[in-house]
Amino acid sequence: MTAAGERAREKPQRPSTYAPAPGHRFNVGDHVLVKRRFPPGHRRTPSYIKGKTGTIERICGAFGNPEELAYGFDGEPKRVLYRVRFRQKDVWPEYQGAERDVIEIEIYEHWLERTHP
Amino acid sequence: MSAKHHARLPSDIGGDDAGPVDIVDHGMKFWERQANALRSSLSRRKIVKTDELRRAAEELPNYKELHYFEITTSALRTILIEKGHMTEAELKAKMDEVRARFNVPDEMESPLKKGAAR
Repeated sequence: MTAAGERAREKPQRPSTYAPAPGHRFNVGDHVLVKRRFPPGHRRTPSYIKGKTGTIERICGAFGNPEELAYGFDGEPKRVLYRVRFRQKDVWPEYQGAERDVIEIEIYEHWLERTHP
Repeated sequence: MSAKHHARLPSDIGGDDAGPVDIVDHGMKFWERQANALRSSLSRRKIVKTDELRRAAEELPNYKELHYFEITTSALRTILIEKGHMTEAELKAKMDEVRARFNVPDEMESPLKKGAAR
């Protein structure tokens, strides 16, 4: 069993998958960093979340890649979509709300990197 | 370095000052209903895809001056022309023809909804 596999086994696995996501890289509870990249074109990751760290809240499933579908391609191979949870205080430096407040954003796997808390 | 140093598309505005938010339901005008129905039908038949329409919308040079249905309908026009379902010339000819035979009077702009607007 790999280190990643062991981590996954220890974490509570909520029934959180909407659609099959074969070969998904991340599991619920994993820490991820959103890539700081600004390529031109139709991208589904908002600028304000790039470079921020969050945790995987759920695996939504695998879907046609919207960044390819946007230009008339077939969207294959499908990409795994995750719901990622961020602390509002991590996203907005001047955030005045409660410490526990979070924002959840659905982000495709190719925008995420593994990181550690 | 922040995201401000990168060119952002007009739809990528999270975190910007929004100004006052209009919370009045303005309903849909007659043409908006027609245009929206057309977009739904073409999407359902997979002639156009949501992601294509979003991309075409984001590329509109005057995105920020347009209202919602103007954006979606302009995007639909772009994609239909791009995919060869019609040409700019055909669209213009058809619009001239329709305008000549059926000049929509203002009263026909969805009167029920008009009362609720503003």
